[in-house]
Amino acid sequence: MKISVNTEIALTYLSSRKKQTVVASMGVMFGISMFIFMQSLMKGTNDYFEKMSFTNTPHIRIFNENKVADNHMLRSFINDQSEKILTNPKQLAQSPGITNPYGIIDQIRRNPKIAAVTPQVTGNVIYTSGSVELPGNVAGVEIDEEDKMFDVQTNMISGNLHDLNRVHNSILIGKGIAEKLSLHTGDNLTVRAGNGNMLVMRVVGVFSTTVKQLDETKSYANISTVQSLAGKDRSYVTEIKVNLVNYNDAPAVARDLETITGYKSEDWVKANEQLKAAFKVRAIILNSVIGVILLVAGFGIYNILNMTIYEKIKEIAILKAQGFSGRAVTSIFLQQAIYIGLMGGIIGLIVGFSLTFMVSRIYIGAGTLKYLPMSFHPPHYIQALTFGIITTIAAGFFPARKASKVDPVTIIRG
Amino acid sequence: MENIALKASGITKYFYDPVKMQVLKDINMEVIKGEFVSIVGKSGCGKSTLLYILSTMDTDYEGTLTINGENTTGQSLNNLARIRNESIGFVFQFHYLLPDFSCLKNVMIPALRLGKLSPKEIEAAAYEKLKMFGVEDQALKKAGKLSGGQQQRVAIARALINNPAIIMGDEPTGNLDSKNTGIVFDLFMQLSKEYGQTLITVTHDEDFAKRSDRIIEMADGEIKRIAGNNGNKSQNNK
Ligand SMILES: Nc1ncnc2c1ncn2[C@@H]1O[C@H](COP(=O)(O)OP(=O)(O)OP(=O)(O)O)[C@@H](O)[C@H]1O
Ligand SMILES: [Mg+2]
Repeated sequence: MKISVNTEIALTYLSSRKKQTVVASMGVMFGISMFIFMQSLMKGTNDYFEKMSFTNTPHIRIFNENKVADNHMLRSFINDQSEKILTNPKQLAQSPGITNPYGIIDQIRRNPKIAAVTPQVTGNVIYTSGSVELPGNVAGVEIDEEDKMFDVQTNMISGNLHDLNRVHNSILIGKGIAEKLSLHTGDNLTVRAGNGNMLVMRVVGVFSTTVKQLDETKSYANISTVQSLAGKDRSYVTEIKVNLVNYNDAPAVARDLETITGYKSEDWVKANEQLKAAFKVRAIILNSVIGVILLVAGFGIYNILNMTIYEKIKEIAILKAQGFSGRAVTSIFLQQAIYIGLMGGIIGLIVGFSLTFMVSRIYIGAGTLKYLPMSFHPPHYIQALTFGIITTIAAGFFPARKASKVDPVTIIRG
Repeated sequence: MENIALKASGITKYFYDPVKMQVLKDINMEVIKGEFVSIVGKSGCGKSTLLYILSTMDTDYEGTLTINGENTTGQSLNNLARIRNESIGFVFQFHYLLPDFSCLKNVMIPALRLGKLSPKEIEAAAYEKLKMFGVEDQALKKAGKLSGGQQQRVAIARALINNPAIIMGDEPTGNLDSKNTGIVFDLFMQLSKEYGQTLITVTHDEDFAKRSDRIIEMADGEIKRIAGNNGNKSQNNK
């Protein structure tokens, strides 16, 4: 390969001032490796928290929501041509159940984006043991489906979740409930529903999630048990839980389901708005930090090239006297910037990867978090290199242009 | 007239710093292809200033300049750079080499820039030029480490590398002993007579000037006298 004179001169200048070259490319290296490290950490933790939120919320929940009375409803009572004016509209209690839930479930199962669908009956109850009462809610579920969706099994600390299907009127309770009512697997527990129905249930297992508030209120029972506790028939379902193949599709699929079913369907993004807000805030902080690092690296390059040009001004004049055009001189100095950027950039990629890898091996051991969640996401590396190169070119541009404007006569005359 | 290498008409130049001062006053001159011209005059009379204008490096003047039949006045800086690279070799009053590069590279750079020959051929040519001035043993040394006279000879070798139509020198032998001055003079003469290259040199060396084809004598920014030597090729422009 034939390298051009400009390249040859650029490389000679870089190698004749090794120390400055190394310092400048270290700046770029630092910027790029930090970029990669921080991005990997952020994406890793974001992904982790997203996944965590899916251990107790489905991607989409379909339920019946109370509605504010509107003209449309009024018309179904007084259906004539008169203008109707509704003042002071109020919330209307809808029947809490979903009509024809199994029909809906069959229908939405056909959507290829949907991975799992399961019905649930939720009832507010009061747990009683001895003289102690504790408010909470019981989720009537098909435990096998529930386990598939939320991996209930990993949360079990005693008992067996499959006993829910085997033992009549059985219940799985949260660790908080077990502690407060001093219950163990095999004990009996009285559950009272809002309508006054009471049921003595057998505790077949205790589970512990990472969320304390859940552990102190939540219990699982068979869907039919909860249906009868609520005094309803087998078609009574309060919500349908849907998991998708790709959870990022949730907002779009939720919109579809809402129009198909006519019920409120809430995606996880809406249900976890504070999580998303936290992601955004963190992204802003991170991008500012990276911006500052790259800015500093850019100034390093700018500074070094400016110094080089100041020192080499006579040589620039000589090159021009020998017929190097302004464009050739620009190329010589811009190339120096690019080589500094490339060198720092490539080392930065390696350092960034190693750093990410090393940190991903740090044992944390808090709750279900064993190791720091780091993501290894190739686009981060491409982005980092692109940003690095853009920064170097921007930083090299002004000194290079200055060099191209050197007037040979003024300099050579002295 | 296609045998005119360089023609300057009405060249006038002012310096404005610290006060407005006219350095060159209506300079008119013609140099024929293959001619060896010396410019002499007292220090400060404007010889270097004129040479910078003739070399197209200085574009801030009044009048017109024609090189090899091409009008260079008012041309873009990029075009002028190309003309210099191709047709003008310049030896500065204070021999300026690039100190980070070897002598060989210094000589090669203008040719690499021109890009007419392969790097191998250029290297061979550069060696040959260094040999002509007896500095081939310094070829691989960094230019900054040479003595003044050695640097000047490398600088002359560099000016010749592209076989330019016109070679301009601002006291090219100012730092040389009489033996090396002799070598340079003989070589310049050979270039002009055998290869038809045009030489314009500013010199304080009377002997050197007398042996060239023509002497242009300047005083106070004007051409005072043009004297042909041996009657050959002498021209009068006033
Ligand atoms: N940049 C400048 N600004 C103002 N005046 C200048 C500048 N450069 C040169 N001069 C003046 O112009 C005049 C001509 O200078 P020039 O360098 O052409 O002289 P010279 O004939 O080459 O002298 P020498 O033989 O000493 O090299 C001098 O009086 C000098 O002081
Ligand atoms: Mg001078």
